[in-house]
Amino acid sequence: MQRARRWQWQRIEGIQMSEFKTIGKNEQRVDIRSKVLGTAVYAADVNLPDMLHGKVVRCYEHAHARVVSLDLSAAAAVPGVVKVLGPKDVTSKAFNKSVIDLMASESTAQMLGDIEEQHIFTDHVKFYGDGIAGIIATSEEAAEQAAALVAVEYEPLPVYLTPEASAAPDAVQFTDQKPGNLAFSLPDGMFPGGQLGWGEVDQAFEGADLVIEDTFYTPKQKQCQMEPNSYVALYDDEGRLNCWMSSQMPKLVHEKLARLFEMPMSQVKVTQTVVGGGFGARLGMVMEPEVCAMALAVPGRPVKLQQPREEDWLTSPSRHPSRYWMKLGFKKDGTPAACDARSTNFKGGYYLDGSALASTTGFWLQGMYRFDTLRYKGDSYFTNQPVCGAFRGYGNPQTNFVLEQMIDRGCAELNIDPLEWRKKWHKQVGDMSWLNATPYTSCALDECLDQGAEAIGWAEKRAKYASQTGTKRRGIGVSVGNHTSGAFPMILEQTTCTVRLNEDASATVLVACSEIGQGSHTTLRQIAAETLGLPLDDVRLDAGDSDANGFDIGAHASRTLYVGGTAVMKACEDAREQLFARAAKLLQTSIDELDIDENKQIFVKDSPDRFVSAAKICRDGSFNFANPQTGELEGEPGQIQAYVSYKPDNNSPPFFSTFVEVEVDTETGEVDVLELVSSHDIGRAIHPAICEGQMEGGAQQGLGMALMEEIYFDDNGHVTNNSFTDYKMLGASDMPKMTNILVENPDPYGPFGAKSVGEAGLVTPVGATANAIFQATGIQFTQGPITPEKILQAIKEKGLSYT
Amino acid sequence: MSKHAITLKVNGASYDLVVASNKTLLEVLRDQLNMPETKYGCGTGECGACSVLVEGDVAINSCLTLAATMDGREITTAAGLQQNGELHPVQQAFIDHSAVQCGYCTPGMVVKGVSLLAKNPNPTEQEIREGLEGSICRCTGYVKIVEAVDAAGKAMAVAAD
Repeated sequence: MQRARRWQWQRIEGIQMSEFKTIGKNEQRVDIRSKVLGTAVYAADVNLPDMLHGKVVRCYEHAHARVVSLDLSAAAAVPGVVKVLGPKDVTSKAFNKSVIDLMASESTAQMLGDIEEQHIFTDHVKFYGDGIAGIIATSEEAAEQAAALVAVEYEPLPVYLTPEASAAPDAVQFTDQKPGNLAFSLPDGMFPGGQLGWGEVDQAFEGADLVIEDTFYTPKQKQCQMEPNSYVALYDDEGRLNCWMSSQMPKLVHEKLARLFEMPMSQVKVTQTVVGGGFGARLGMVMEPEVCAMALAVPGRPVKLQQPREEDWLTSPSRHPSRYWMKLGFKKDGTPAACDARSTNFKGGYYLDGSALASTTGFWLQGMYRFDTLRYKGDSYFTNQPVCGAFRGYGNPQTNFVLEQMIDRGCAELNIDPLEWRKKWHKQVGDMSWLNATPYTSCALDECLDQGAEAIGWAEKRAKYASQTGTKRRGIGVSVGNHTSGAFPMILEQTTCTVRLNEDASATVLVACSEIGQGSHTTLRQIAAETLGLPLDDVRLDAGDSDANGFDIGAHASRTLYVGGTAVMKACEDAREQLFARAAKLLQTSIDELDIDENKQIFVKDSPDRFVSAAKICRDGSFNFANPQTGELEGEPGQIQAYVSYKPDNNSPPFFSTFVEVEVDTETGEVDVLELVSSHDIGRAIHPAICEGQMEGGAQQGLGMALMEEIYFDDNGHVTNNSFTDYKMLGASDMPKMTNILVENPDPYGPFGAKSVGEAGLVTPVGATANAIFQATGIQFTQGPITPEKILQAIKEKGLSYT
Repeated sequence: MSKHAITLKVNGASYDLVVASNKTLLEVLRDQLNMPETKYGCGTGECGACSVLVEGDVAINSCLTLAATMDGREITTAAGLQQNGELHPVQQAFIDHSAVQCGYCTPGMVVKGVSLLAKNPNPTEQEIREGLEGSICRCTGYVKIVEAVDAAGKAMAVAAD
């Protein structure tokens, strides 16, 4: 670990920014031409000859019920229907659609309490839209017609829409593996006392000058990735199961499908198509088990499963809603003496990644500030709601909404500037990071805050808005955060990469890292080209093919550039070294004396007239002809290929801040976001426009979480807004003026000093918006999202400050 | 379901088709003509991923348009904006400004951009933002899309001079 660190430092200090050929440049994205033309192939665009269409029959009558009887005979009689499938017609094996359980050892997963309790089709409906049967037909119309003719008799069960309701002693049990419908709580064996933190919290509160506490609610937000989940599956004539899909984690899905259908992984082929957005909605499997079960039922014929938006909404996981209690203790001078918190999460109908979310919500809490003492407890209870799973930030936006408002409340009570408080008390290099196990390796949060404050005019506006009259009130708020770069040391990290030099010294990089729109294939290619010393056009990534690619975890935990990028860099360093070793032999010098130019000529640095073509070395390696005159072999034999299986032993969280300025119409309750400034300490921007893109898109989702986005239910547990008509997001004309600042402070571990940027952009706009509304109205809103109705109601109840 | 014989001109080529009354233009483009560049996002006219141009420069939601009503009309999709291997200035601007992430909304956004610039060749930023309403992007926060449409407008004005 120490060696790796020194080596990395040398690399960064040795190469100045200007020396980079492609790192730091806004290169053309590798996928962009086909995307502006529309020729990029997404899963729904895959069409195979003789293709059938699948349809899952869903329960829309009840959010909680038992299937008493299921009669598929009328459906089977519809012309064009090839097969109808009930629970008994497919594997009875229980599984877990999430892949998080694969990322912990078996004993750890056991300690965490991970379970497998899902079935392809269920006889215990646990949420509105749960799947009970399947239809395979020659057309979508026939499948839909048949689905409408499925005769089901249900025994309705009580509907539980809150943890309190499902935890009641007489409540129907979701699974006998989780008594009391408690899906998860921090396990004692891993976190002593079932809690995170440090110090004597209760004692610290006794010594505090100010103690504040409140209970918040953070909403069930939907990722709304633009491409609904679609699939094609084929159980082919050679007995292989093929699945074209758009999971963020194709290799783990590969293993999950093989396990579920009890086939060797070599007999399962997963092809990741172009992915139309993820944000966590496709972290594990969504409908892969269903479509593969259908394909297995009709050997030799491909089955396509396309979900309408409304159905995709119900079947892909959303953000966990949470009830989040927090109590803070401060000394008069602002010293944060104690933090006590508990988040109780609404799990939805199935367990999925049950062990992870309630944990990480607390990790982000303990990672942010230097509290003298801290205690966090987290749990999740089953509810009759569509499943919850990963959504960009993974608990961090929830914590941001709560913690950052509470900090501002404390600062207001103590009359301390909230910006200065944050600068004084945020964690620094050397402090323990979010898991409380490894120290922060780099932190430029102060610079983020300084640049952000300057860009938005914090000091002037904060002072100006301190006293206002009139119906429209302005406010400015700040929020800070940090996130992660990969999942180490929490759960599994590993990326394999193979680099092959072709006969002309161009390179093929085989790596399973997912491009889900975030631009990772473009930035990984830049890392490969920079490391190999090859022109960008000479480097191609080959990804998304479970036959060709080795192991990788996939896109989650903001890991792809940080972990995948390092894997690519290491493999490319090896390939370059092999190439240079052959050149050194020919030029009778050492590797260190060599460099490569833009024409792929390897030359001696001190005497550039001594050079050899990289293409010749590579061609000779593959062809290795014998010289007809001498009989000697030309060149050194063997194609150059390098391989690494990289498992990081470090993590470099990015730090970031957001400032938001709002205007609240106190007569209508409407919030107009006037300006947003985010600054991120990203270590090094491999591709600045791609980094900005993550921050810009994250802001749209963060503002949405703060102000308007929530899935609603009626009393029966029916979802009332599972469409873009009823679930509103910010459109182009709703977005504020935005400034996104990249603060470059190379990290000792990240590839070329880079840290992550993927999820972070969503996090701090949430707290900053709430804090801006706090300044504008003098009211804190504990129940997200902060809609006009809630604002009007609060003004009515509490009155406006500064009137 | 009754059927209709229609002629549809798509990207310059003419197609004689028989379409069912209930088939949308989106379904006909994707399923009958095998032109996947027009995307299904919501089916309710809210997201704009299915936008195509009618008669060269009017953007419509193809998911809300019954194909049978388009007899004799000329349709242009994002793929059809390319001429002799040259991208449309709006497409080129999307590339130059890295205005694409997952790309699923992109063909519709490009079409929207072409349409709004046809109506208003010199739009303000606010007019671009309003012109893009009805098209949802979940990746970019619209920043680079707005920049790209603005730059395309300027490039087209220069080219027209």
